[in-house]
Amino acid sequence: MTANPASPPPAAATGRPWTCPFCPLCCDGFSLAAAPRPTLIGSDCGRAAAALSHFGAAPASATARVDGRAVDHRSAVAAAAAILGASAQPLFAGLATDVAGMRALYRLANGCGAILDHANGDALMVSTRALQDRGVFYTTLAEIRNRADLVVCLGTNATDHYPEFFRRTAPAADAPARHVVFVGACMAASVPGLEACTTEEIGFAGDVFDTVALIAARLAGRRTAASDPALDALIVRMQAARYTVVVWESSSLPAQGALVAEAIQRIVNTLNRTTRAAAFCLGGGDGGYTANQVMTWLSGLPLRTGVHMRGLVHEPQRYATARLLAQRAVDALLWVSAFSPELAPPDTGLPLVVLGHPGLEEAAARANSVFIPVSTPGIGSAGHLFRADGGVVLPLVPIYADTLPGVAEVAADIAANIAAARAEGGAR
Amino acid sequence: MSTLRLKGGRIIDPANGIDGEVRDIGVRDGRIVALHPAEKVDREFDVSGMVVMAGGIDMHTHIGGGKVNLARMLLPEDHRANRAPDNPLELASAGCCTPGTLATGYRYAEMGYTAAFEPAMAPSNARHAHMEMGDTPILDHGAYVMLGNDELMLRMLAEGQDFERIRDYVGWTIHATRAMGVKVVNPGGISAFKFNQRKLDVDEDHTHWRITPRQVVQTLARALTELGIPHPLHIHASNLGVPGNIGSTLATIAALEGLRGHLTHVQFHAYGTEGARKFSSAARELAEAVNANPNVSIDVGQITFGQTVTASGDTMRQHANADLGSPRKWIGADIECDAGCGIVPFRYREESFVNALQWAIGLELFLLVDDPWRVVLTTDHPNGGPFTSYPHLIRLLMDKSFRDEQLAKLHPEVAVNALLRGIGRELSLNEIAIMTRAAPARLLGLADRGQLGEGAAADIAVYREDPDREAMFTTPEYVFKDGELVVQRGRLVATPVGGTHFLEPEFDPAIERMLAKYADEHLATAWRHAAIGRDELCACANGGRLLACPLHGRGGRK
Repeated sequence: MTANPASPPPAAATGRPWTCPFCPLCCDGFSLAAAPRPTLIGSDCGRAAAALSHFGAAPASATARVDGRAVDHRSAVAAAAAILGASAQPLFAGLATDVAGMRALYRLANGCGAILDHANGDALMVSTRALQDRGVFYTTLAEIRNRADLVVCLGTNATDHYPEFFRRTAPAADAPARHVVFVGACMAASVPGLEACTTEEIGFAGDVFDTVALIAARLAGRRTAASDPALDALIVRMQAARYTVVVWESSSLPAQGALVAEAIQRIVNTLNRTTRAAAFCLGGGDGGYTANQVMTWLSGLPLRTGVHMRGLVHEPQRYATARLLAQRAVDALLWVSAFSPELAPPDTGLPLVVLGHPGLEEAAARANSVFIPVSTPGIGSAGHLFRADGGVVLPLVPIYADTLPGVAEVAADIAANIAAARAEGGAR
Repeated sequence: MSTLRLKGGRIIDPANGIDGEVRDIGVRDGRIVALHPAEKVDREFDVSGMVVMAGGIDMHTHIGGGKVNLARMLLPEDHRANRAPDNPLELASAGCCTPGTLATGYRYAEMGYTAAFEPAMAPSNARHAHMEMGDTPILDHGAYVMLGNDELMLRMLAEGQDFERIRDYVGWTIHATRAMGVKVVNPGGISAFKFNQRKLDVDEDHTHWRITPRQVVQTLARALTELGIPHPLHIHASNLGVPGNIGSTLATIAALEGLRGHLTHVQFHAYGTEGARKFSSAARELAEAVNANPNVSIDVGQITFGQTVTASGDTMRQHANADLGSPRKWIGADIECDAGCGIVPFRYREESFVNALQWAIGLELFLLVDDPWRVVLTTDHPNGGPFTSYPHLIRLLMDKSFRDEQLAKLHPEVAVNALLRGIGRELSLNEIAIMTRAAPARLLGLADRGQLGEGAAADIAVYREDPDREAMFTTPEYVFKDGELVVQRGRLVATPVGGTHFLEPEFDPAIERMLAKYADEHLATAWRHAAIGRDELCACANGGRLLACPLHGRGGRK
């Protein structure tokens, strides 16, 4: 992988082209000034600014710790291997890492029989389970940019959590005129990318479940008892639109959100019988889509799968991190959080290994814990992340040469250590 | 330096005109060499009485990339039924229709295959495709990039831009995505579906760009010829699965006007409309056209009975077929102004008239085309059935009585009336070796693969003779990858990372200015990310070897 961390950054006003790893939109059209501290240029994205505040202009100095005591990397790896090697049922969670990190973690999971879930596993399973049960018809950023004449934001204004969404999908010069409807959500005060669009806000007819059910039923030509003039008008708009995009956010739905995702799929499928439509799910942050993609291609099954003696077991409900910890169904936790110190491990008394941002040091400072600081892809090391629309993978380039190893390297070290210990045990 | 000798095997090496001669094969440092009979080697294998062939090459199998992974996600039921590997070399990986990449590599190698090519890589999904292929162990791999539904090429055609600019754009795309060829899927039709068009015949106008599939096919075929791309244009023709589509398939062949073209999964494109059910075999018409047009090659896309999942870039046709899916769920997508995707689970049933006829049509095509060098054995994995059914398919082709037994089990109208009944041809081992090794290597321009001559890569499969050809091809005695023993008695003994085959065509770099402007104005990814560098390809492909493949002629023109 090539990077050029040695050369000094140009004038702060221009910065260097940069790809942001801190949200699944993976914005690659802005620049980054590296000094005096990393600052995004050309975007006011609060999410990027908050994430960048955890990095300085130069690599952080950080030390691995075992039970809170500073140790060298080798000792930390050996301690992590001892915890995972001794565990009858370890859980790998967080999984905020890049493609290379997940590749190595899956190999490690095979070495110690782990269950794998992501920090945003609940939201991830909303879209995954709806896909497994009904399927999906989705679209991507460039398609929205060129084609969408109607964008329906269902229960989300998109901007709160994905500040650059509308700019990334802003209509191309020769794209059709666009109308944006926020259903059950308030448009943000200032939204870059919506300048050329007409907008409208309407309320839910009841709650989000009622609303999608009503839209789906009416589009399918069923009579419904309830009527809502604003929704009726929206339905007419959808039927007349050439390309409707239904935008939703998997982490903003209430419990049983997969039902909403299924209803959106019905809405899109019905529209596609006469005109064109597609869905766009905002989600997959903290490397969530990346972890799910890599897990699926290597193993054949998505996250919330365990590598067990009896084979692979996929349990989208039972293998939720919170549930496994609450039921003490696991006896060790490996927490991976390479992007942010804010994604901290859940509170647990189990033996704990954290591969994390240097700022997570305090999260694994107790007895029976190991902390190994890791490099952040896109800041201290190269890497690859999947974008929210699924198929686009963005290469990440570091802004400085890190002193810390990547998740892939550490996971491979731990796996080698476990294998060596087993071989030695076997030889005796 | 390491050497080995395979002693006394019966060599089937059609690329070198060897059909059953008993001789030794020598290997030094991963290459086939002539060894003096007295020369000591590091390892000698007694393969007397066994059949020795080059490693199998699957040139059309959906093994990596966005739609394959979506197919996995769509069918957890296909992957849940699994057991932990009993071989410590294997990592857990499940699935029958669309196995995980690890299982894909393991199962292919266990059948004696050493290379596989992903036929439908969307330009915007290229990094992902290379990652999955890189995680497919043992096999060398490569991909054909999809063009002809990208809005840019259709716009250039519609604007009447110079052919040379389109050719340069095609060359740049192969370079940028590190592809081994170009595939066109339902020419113009995926884009047309985005504009709500539901059907597009070869000479019908795209509703928005007002260009025809014929223009798309002609332009791409000519561009590849001028660029010196070894693999001919890989064509998934118009109207997949539509009764009567033989008309558009023959029109597509005509559209090539003598230029080379490879029509893929032709079983799905050889349907007539005769009979009470308005669905009939047009295998004879298509085979006659292939026999009469030496510029045309095919792979079959044979169906096998049972559950599978169809994964295609052809959103237009997959949308139309979604209601026939089983189980009833499906995935569709409009992708980045360059591609589409449709995934429909399918269960082919012996008692279904349509499915039984599809089965017969596929076999008819294999047996009615005279020249085995222009027919490649595929099931269009997973669309016609999983690749693990190849040994069964080989037996069907080599054993008339076995074929008749199977035919008799099918829907009675097909069992009694199929053209297949009257075809007595049984393929020889030599013909099977052509269709599964030598021909795909030649069609891809892989001079040192698919053959056992001196200098060739030591990708070798050794089979124990068995009159039951299914059993024989299921469990090779030995498989070597680049001279390394990877399978012994059907069991993996090594799992090296495979290499990536790709092309480096020449093009006028001035095209990049136009492409950068287009990307800025219409796409959603920064121009600097449009091309995959060599180092990045290596990282995506898991550190496997980069196998840049020579171009034809002088490698295109400036």
